[in-house]
Amino acid sequence: MDQLILASEECDVVNEVICAPADVKELFEFTDVIFSIGPLGFTRTIILFFLAAFVVVGLLYFGLRKQRMVPSKFGVVIESLLDFVKNGIAKDIIGPEGARYVPYLTAIFLFILVGNLFEVTPLINFPITSRMAIPAFLAIVTYVIFVFIGFGKNKFRFLLDTVWPKHVPIGLRWLVGLIELVSIFLLRPFTLAVRLFANMVAGHLMLTLLLGSGVIFLSAFPEIGLKALVGIPWFALGLGIYLFEIVVSVLQAYIFTLLSAVYIQSSVHFEH
Amino acid sequence: MEGNIEVLKGAIALIGYGLAAVGPGVGIGIVVGNAITAMARQPEMAGTIRTTMFLGIAFTEALALIGFVLFFIA
Repeated sequence: MDQLILASEECDVVNEVICAPADVKELFEFTDVIFSIGPLGFTRTIILFFLAAFVVVGLLYFGLRKQRMVPSKFGVVIESLLDFVKNGIAKDIIGPEGARYVPYLTAIFLFILVGNLFEVTPLINFPITSRMAIPAFLAIVTYVIFVFIGFGKNKFRFLLDTVWPKHVPIGLRWLVGLIELVSIFLLRPFTLAVRLFANMVAGHLMLTLLLGSGVIFLSAFPEIGLKALVGIPWFALGLGIYLFEIVVSVLQAYIFTLLSAVYIQSSVHFEH
Repeated sequence: MEGNIEVLKGAIALIGYGLAAVGPGVGIGIVVGNAITAMARQPEMAGTIRTTMFLGIAFTEALALIGFVLFFIA
């Protein structure tokens, strides 16, 4: 909100029709520490990070606290979410061995879902996954898990068969091996993190710019008169994007979990 | 002069992002179009096809998103 006020102060609504902040980074940097415990400073992102974790734990606790024959409406929602991850992702993608990875997949699905939905939660309006640190950390956890499983289940063959695939004609083997090596060990974690990060940044940026410029123009009505009506289409478009962002939030949480499952599956069943 | 170079850099980054979005745009169109055809032919397979479609979209989309990130870095 401070950033929005900052942008509106810099904006010269009398002369310019399109308002752009001087530097886009201003919209994203929350470096001011709100409070600190010892050497650990708590910024807004970190507070929201813990809030997301508590929301996930709270949802699971209150949803599954009383196991009854006919669960409450809230319990049904939580149970269907868990069932979706268990059967829709783990069993469908990984197969019968998928049951081992259900807790991890459930945890990242719910955490990313709550973190993404902070983007469209009134009064919060900030997706924690639009800070590179958080998607990068989640991607690294997935990376460590699938590399460990790959080496654990297939021993050294995991690396050897990747670099020197036997099913490829010998002339092309080195090229395919190189591409596979780079794609599995470097590009997979990178794209996994960047996909979530960039989607949330793009959504957050669009919402901030559209709703923000709508509010700025409409609130400048006394100064610029009828020109302030430019704000109405901006605001309307912003509300449309707002609905779209709810879909994107859920879809990105699903895709992150789905791809984690696919990567784990490719390590569990290495011999295609 | 300094300001002009900054503006120019921003404009080139914009063009770069636009170019990066062309390929994935076509690619996602092909993925979704073929998924719709498959679902229309075999509605009973719709669940599996939808999952695979999202996977295909996710892999294709990555290129466009890398372009988007580079636009901010530039």
